[in-house]
Amino acid sequence: MSATAPVGSAGRSMARPGLWDRDRTVAPRDYNRFLVPPAALAVHLSIGQAYAFSTFNLPLTKLLGITESAPADWSLKQVGWTFSIAIFFLGLSAALFGRWVESAGPRKAMSVAACCFGGGFLVSALGIRLHEIDLLYLGYGVLGGCGLGIGYISPVSTLIKWFPDRPGMATGMAIMGFGGGALIAAPLSIFLMDQFKTAESNGVFESFIAMGVIYFVFMMFGAAIVRVPPGDWKPIGWTPSVTPKKLVTSANVHVDVAWKTRQFWLLWGVLCMNVTAGIGVLSQASPMIQEMFPDRVTAAAAASFVGLLSLFNMGGRFVWASASDYLGRKNTYFVFFVLGILLYALVPSIGQAGSRGLFVLAFGVILSMYGGGFATIPAYLRDIFGTMHVGAIHGRLLTAWAAAGVLGPVLVSYIRDFQIHHGVPKAQAYSVTMYIMCGLLFIGLLCNLGVRAVAPELHHRAPET
Amino acid sequence: MDRLKLTLLWLIVGLPLAWGVAKTVQNAIKLF
Repeated sequence: MSATAPVGSAGRSMARPGLWDRDRTVAPRDYNRFLVPPAALAVHLSIGQAYAFSTFNLPLTKLLGITESAPADWSLKQVGWTFSIAIFFLGLSAALFGRWVESAGPRKAMSVAACCFGGGFLVSALGIRLHEIDLLYLGYGVLGGCGLGIGYISPVSTLIKWFPDRPGMATGMAIMGFGGGALIAAPLSIFLMDQFKTAESNGVFESFIAMGVIYFVFMMFGAAIVRVPPGDWKPIGWTPSVTPKKLVTSANVHVDVAWKTRQFWLLWGVLCMNVTAGIGVLSQASPMIQEMFPDRVTAAAAASFVGLLSLFNMGGRFVWASASDYLGRKNTYFVFFVLGILLYALVPSIGQAGSRGLFVLAFGVILSMYGGGFATIPAYLRDIFGTMHVGAIHGRLLTAWAAAGVLGPVLVSYIRDFQIHHGVPKAQAYSVTMYIMCGLLFIGLLCNLGVRAVAPELHHRAPET
Repeated sequence: MDRLKLTLLWLIVGLPLAWGVAKTVQNAIKLF
């Protein structure tokens, strides 16, 4: 503190808060709230790169051989661990740092996320140059994963506070960016590797450095423009509904209380089941369409199918989350689970009928609901637990994603291998998987049906902290 | 001024997204 800084009656410094302080980001009352979503999108479009990490998988196995894998090159299995570690640390950091993100404010949190995510690329680039896979794990997996977790939750609660009249649309806007990030990162990675490719390098090292710098700058742009509303701010002309809704609270539940409630774990189950069903398909989409339509879908067309699913995944985030403002959160998840069960049950018949168009459409809708599930959950949490600690509670709930990230792909690939090993033709090997997905969605449906309002004695009494 | 800032901020995040969507759609056409 400066010696000349004026001191208030309570002995606190009256000096202007630092650039990264939460108080510095408080917007004036007449601030246009539509200036805030670009900040959230800048962060989510960057960290959404994680979904396109597989673009680097094959090039990372050819760092020494350049055109072909050399015996000393990393294997695909070794490289594949990088993404799993990143998703694990996403869940872990979101759970651990959720409360800090709430107290530090979005600007500081986004800046830390930018340093972690951009820095993760740079550490990984060093690992690529030295051919040390542990540095790749440490950089993209651990450091980058922490950037993913902190970056994912930091803008969500800010937008919920700016859009109390449309919380679903607000979270949909932010989380749509995470889906859209992959659509940018996949062609960007290929473009950069093509630009940097030489006889001595396949361009991955240089691309990692470029992406680290690009994403750091873009995320810091988001941190610079983010603003939080003044404490008692409300949109002009909006008054909270006077008729209380059973599942929308005007009270708050402290994060330390919330995670011990039945509601938290039911919602954990809702997210975990919805994500497991979607991620399992997403991870196997390319071989699945090729094996279900042998000789009719090439590898290139299968890659296009994956891209198309990403488009549905992104669009679903905004469309479903916005629709949930009108349908209600519980009803929206009811639609996800019932429609999901119907579509998964129909997929084997669609495959047998040989209808590619219907197959793509069915999975497009399934993936839109997968994305919609991610985007609607923060608004659901806000309805049940209030806005006070919604970011921190959301962070803890994201452990469901980490669990689903392991469960979904393992389940789909294990069942497929088991079926093929027991003589089932490849084209039919996914039928059992689809029925198991129906079962998982049914569990999610039951969890959703069990969600009730939190008992008033668990509401937070003290002023918001 | 506010409107200009609003347009500029949305363009900065919207243009890369539009590029990514266009590239994906361009590739997706190969499927049919």
